Amino acid sequence: MTALFAFYVLIWPALTLGVLVLICRAVLRDRRDARRESRELV
Amino acid sequence: MSAYVPINRGMPLNSLSLHQFSTSTVLLLMFAFYGGTYLLTLGIRKKKEDADAFMVSNHRVGFGIGAASMTATWIWAASFYAAATSGYTYGVSGPIHYGLWGALMILFIYPFGRRFRKLAPNAHTLGELIHARHGSSSQLILAFSNVLGSIISLMVNFTAAGALVSVLSPLSFQAGVIIAGIGVLLYTLWSGFRASVLTDFAQLVALMAIAVVIIPAVFFAMGGPSELVAGLDNLTAEQANFFSVDAILNQGAPFFVAVLAYAIGNQTISQRLFAVNEEHIKPTFITATVGYGAIVIGLGMIGLMALTLGIQPLDGDMNNLIPQMVSGYLPPVFIALFFVLVIGSLSSTADSDLSALSAIMMADVYGKNIARGKADPKRMLLVGRLTMIIATAVGIVFASFSLDILVMLVFVGALWGAIVFPVIASCFWNRVTNAAFTTSVLVAMVTFCIARFELLPMSGLTALAFEGLASIGGGIIIALMVFGFLGRAAGLIAGVLAMLAMLVFATDFLRDYTVLLASLTAYGTSTLVCVVMSLMSSQRFDFDTIAQRVGDYDDAMSSTGAGSDTGKTAGDRLANASR
Repeated sequence: MTALFAFYVLIWPALTLGVLVLICRAVLRDRRDARRESRELV
Repeated sequence: MSAYVPINRGMPLNSLSLHQFSTSTVLLLMFAFYGGTYLLTLGIRKKKEDADAFMVSNHRVGFGIGAASMTATWIWAASFYAAATSGYTYGVSGPIHYGLWGALMILFIYPFGRRFRKLAPNAHTLGELIHARHGSSSQLILAFSNVLGSIISLMVNFTAAGALVSVLSPLSFQAGVIIAGIGVLLYTLWSGFRASVLTDFAQLVALMAIAVVIIPAVFFAMGGPSELVAGLDNLTAEQANFFSVDAILNQGAPFFVAVLAYAIGNQTISQRLFAVNEEHIKPTFITATVGYGAIVIGLGMIGLMALTLGIQPLDGDMNNLIPQMVSGYLPPVFIALFFVLVIGSLSSTADSDLSALSAIMMADVYGKNIARGKADPKRMLLVGRLTMIIATAVGIVFASFSLDILVMLVFVGALWGAIVFPVIASCFWNRVTNAAFTTSVLVAMVTFCIARFELLPMSGLTALAFEGLASIGGGIIIALMVFGFLGRAAGLIAGVLAMLAMLVFATDFLRDYTVLLASLTAYGTSTLVCVVMSLMSSQRFDFDTIAQRVGDYDDAMSSTGAGSDTGKTAGDRLANASR
């Protein structure tokens, strides 16, 4: 029960961290692509 | 900062007081936040911005920036407070019933969003698409609902800033409202949407990083999982039940009804839809769904923690729950981080609202209805910036005087519900007419008001008729959701089954739940009227003409010569020629 509740609470910050890493990597890729194509990021 | 007195771990506390920052600390935090954000926008600033980029960037925003911006926009200050309130009120399942449905609003609009983008790849607002499909009256109904929604959102976000500043420092509520309003306007005014999406990314990174740290920090500071499990004895049977009917009916169901309405009625979402690279729409929406859900449900868990510890919200105000927990269990640096978290979330939504409002006034009002095909991009930019200034002033005034916006909220909710079916049907069904769109929305608003304000006694045949309309409304919500992902046949079957189930269970029952009855009646009425009027029409619309009628403004001007009568978008010329 204790482990289950620990998982229930902590899975959300873990997921948040995963999405944060995904977005940061994607933005770096966006920036690289924009530079290669000589256009602005936004 | 005042001295920090640590509170013992696991100590049950009935009431936690709020940490107080000094005036200079709060001012420093706010000026650092808004100053840093402003400096960030200088990197993309152009001396001469163009109107299209001011509204939707270059239609090629990448996956990373797009997903970040979508997530940051959808998370506003109220998301944290409401999720924590839901956790505190409904217990174990509470945060899920707030965050999950909010997240699904993003996901469920995605299949329709792809259709919108396919029909009008160069649009700036959903209103432009509807203008090309139907004409001004339908477009202005949609634009009006978008404007009201964004004004309310602005006001709520500025209010949240004022409330946060006033509870954590000696500064007044109005000071917080004004600093937030001017701060957001300052960095959004020149570059518009481009500034909004860029700063959204930075704000989201800060917001996520802080959430990742704060949630476990509070959890372990309060005693960790063993303390949480021990505190389950403080919960009622309903609160301890993950499948609580109470939580579903009072928190989940009203949100579920609003899932499509919020996304359709919100220009901030459609603006990003038209800005993101078309190939990246799907991953952008899915990532934003997961990101929103994770942050909001996670912060909602702090409300559940407070419940298990038996903590009472300060002054009975549920909005104090998270600040109380952070103040009570963590050192002041975390409270400063929480402060930045809330300011970041409300600012990212407020700058998106300013960008949305400016795009509506530029494209829907000026471009399509005042300039009528002779839109001057320079004048459009002026309209956009003036809109931002006026909207900020209105937001600050409404927030400062704490005006009662309940009626406005009710009205906007109804309007959004009423337009869902006509908007979606107009993009898939070639028989829907302008008259069917406009009439269905107006009739739905009338029936909504009758049910919501009980203008007729809800008994006998009247109540039965409204429950019948509401059952159609329930059916159409399910039908549209299933249709979006699984196609027409599956949507039809799911909708009919849902409607039949509603007819069985809602009859002689739903009349007691006025808000739900009225909301579902708006959906049901607009669907019924729109379908009947469309079936009676002999018109058939050619969807291919929408892409030709909706175009960029700057390209048209540069190719035809600025200021000349021929300075129209290709689409406008074609539209005028066809009328």
